[in-house]
Amino acid sequence: MSLLSTETPNVVQLFQSLDLDLLWHPSLSNLPPTEQTILHERLVSGRQHLDILVVEGSILHGPDGSGMFDTRLGRPKRELVAELATQAEYVVAAGTCASYGGFGTRGETQAGGLQWDRGQKGGLLGPDFVSRGGSPVINLAGCPCHHDVMAGTLLALTSGFPLPLDEYNRPQHWYGVMVHQGCTRNEYHEYRIEEQDFGQKGCLFFHMGCHGPLAGGPCNKLLWNQRSSKTRVGVPCFGCTDPEFPPPYPFFQTRNIEGIPLQLPKGIDRAHYMAYKGMAAAAAPRRLKDRITDI
Amino acid sequence: MAARKTYEIPLNRVEGDLEVRLDVDEGVVVDAWSAGTMFRGFEKLLVGRGALDGLVVTPRICGICSTTHLLAAAKALDMIAGVTPPPNGVRLRNVALMAELVQSDLRHAILFFLVDLAGPAYRHHPLHEEALRRFEPLRGESWIQAVMETKKILEITAMIAGQWPHSSFMVPGGVAFMPHSTELLQSRYILGRLRSWYEEQVLGCRLDRWREVTSAALLDEWLDESPAHRESVLGFFIRFARSSGLDATGRGHDTFLSFGSLDLPDGTDVASPDGGPHLIPAGFARGTEVESFAPEFITEDVSHSLAALHEGALHPSEGATDPVVGEHGSRYSWAKAPRYRGLPAETGPLAEAIVAGDPFFRDLVAREGAGTFARQLARIVRPARVLPAMETWIAEVAASDTEPMYHACPPIEEGRGYGVIEAARGALGHWVEVRGGRITRYQVITPTTWNGSPRDSTGTRGPWEEALVGTVIAEPNDPVEAGHVIRSFDACLVCAVHAVDLRRAPGALPPLPAASRPR
Repeated sequence: MSLLSTETPNVVQLFQSLDLDLLWHPSLSNLPPTEQTILHERLVSGRQHLDILVVEGSILHGPDGSGMFDTRLGRPKRELVAELATQAEYVVAAGTCASYGGFGTRGETQAGGLQWDRGQKGGLLGPDFVSRGGSPVINLAGCPCHHDVMAGTLLALTSGFPLPLDEYNRPQHWYGVMVHQGCTRNEYHEYRIEEQDFGQKGCLFFHMGCHGPLAGGPCNKLLWNQRSSKTRVGVPCFGCTDPEFPPPYPFFQTRNIEGIPLQLPKGIDRAHYMAYKGMAAAAAPRRLKDRITDI
Repeated sequence: MAARKTYEIPLNRVEGDLEVRLDVDEGVVVDAWSAGTMFRGFEKLLVGRGALDGLVVTPRICGICSTTHLLAAAKALDMIAGVTPPPNGVRLRNVALMAELVQSDLRHAILFFLVDLAGPAYRHHPLHEEALRRFEPLRGESWIQAVMETKKILEITAMIAGQWPHSSFMVPGGVAFMPHSTELLQSRYILGRLRSWYEEQVLGCRLDRWREVTSAALLDEWLDESPAHRESVLGFFIRFARSSGLDATGRGHDTFLSFGSLDLPDGTDVASPDGGPHLIPAGFARGTEVESFAPEFITEDVSHSLAALHEGALHPSEGATDPVVGEHGSRYSWAKAPRYRGLPAETGPLAEAIVAGDPFFRDLVAREGAGTFARQLARIVRPARVLPAMETWIAEVAASDTEPMYHACPPIEEGRGYGVIEAARGALGHWVEVRGGRITRYQVITPTTWNGSPRDSTGTRGPWEEALVGTVIAEPNDPVEAGHVIRSFDACLVCAVHAVDLRRAPGALPPLPAASRPR
């Protein structure tokens, strides 16, 4: 559903211009069930070429490792996914659940990702999996995956442009920026003017549980629905692009030690950070202290 | 009986995975069992999390109505905190939800339902060429318009919520942000664009003209009145339904449930159809006899369910989701069977219209029955009721944007609460219990759990199991007629199967228990 919001190109232009046939999509296709089964057999046997396999949703291994929490005509879906993955030129995991397992990784559904289980390589296809086109599973993390990231990935793969991946096999271009970058609350963050409750002007990192400086993702670079982002409207980033999402601790609150967040902006040194934030707070201009600067 | 056969059919375009078992005798469905094929366990993974975490986790149950889950979660927390959002908080919640609702209705109607008419099952139907031109995926003119226009209206949700889907902008006490007045002004243009398209292409007439259709006879008059009416998406649907027998299928139990939704804020110019507190009234109807709704009469029956093994039926605030593995007598589904006053009930736009006393739909179901046609018609025309109220609420917020949208409330430590609202697909409820600042119980009953429920302890089928009985299936390999019946309920298995499933290999459905096996 997120993909339908892509703008340039829009979803119709995307498929019309790419010389790609959309063979099957659970919400968009109107293939009768028997033809769907025939298509599946043709794909698995290699008689129908498969350029790109896009998988949404986690791989369910429960209950008790059987995979029967998620089936098609009685077969665990993970078997179908594994068969199709061996035939595809490229395998794309759409969203954090397909990438790393996401919701259910700590529960009875025994969820996992296509090639990762949370932050560990492995998953359904194994750490060494390489698709026919020579790539590991391309992880388009996020809950949901940003519409322009999905569209951009399909464009890049079909156009033959390289798509360098980061340490979690996410395209560097979109996940090499922090969610924090481009947030309209950056001024408040810089001088440590903090939001204590919903609906204020301030930074959400210090009390409200914002993961913007911790998580890589394009939310404030590309914006959502051509308009905005959660942090811009006072909703903390929940870090949904992170392999460990959802974290085991509560949302909407920042875990801290004596007022300093337990998790500091990615890669930063604690002692220097504390010195820097102390000085920044002292240097805060009146327009921020008085919450005059708009969001 | 040689002609009697059983078919197991996987269905797509139901926003999730559904497999239906049909017993077909001489081409007619004589019995039906339905089941989602994925168990996700969202409720159990909320237990132990922070009190507010339902606001983040439950929207992710569903990609097409995430804002709806957010509102149910937020209202449950409002109740526990004892806080009432200020009028602008109510308006902004409503407007963001209504944009999602309109999106969902139009995508369902065109991308999920009407697209079947462009499928191979109708290749010999006289309207097939027209259906292809309109609804073929990625090519049909109405298909493309629906994608573009519904995408645009979601920008309104994004202005309020930051993004669609999966925001968490509703919080106990209201919403987290007041959009700038320039954005509110822009959103009026976006809404105006959607309304123009809806009037010109989907209805084929102005909303005012549609509101004059207050009886089944007036619908026929309306259709014949002008080419614009006949050529609209709605006009095409009516012509196709009349010529293909769609209007004679899918009759359920004739019991209808609406939890009521879209609270009217203090001081608004928007009026409710029944003088009550909601734009979409709450109620329960047997036929067209409406009685008031009380959440106390909801129970979850697990007699045919593997979701839990407790005895008898429980209220959702007491309910548990605890799936079991293995043979358990007559239990054939991991879905629970929600019941109202012990009865199955269908829910969705048609149920809302009947509960609201809508004269057209009451007349239509009195004459033709509440089946596939009435259900789908109610969905296509629901935006006609929703759009004017959206316009008013956006204007009211823009005129009062210095008023609060949030009332501070203390941290939520202890208590029980619930949020019951209407999703695009019908009645949605969240029941929440918090102790020591952590969630100790979370139960969700989605519309599809009502509509797609299994049998209960009396052996009574769920609404769409019942509606499937009697359906004529021309081609068992492409049972498009059964698909129409189920799609008319706007089945969302993504949300229902958070507590639904069947295990057991091979064979999608477990063997039928002796008691319910066809004789």
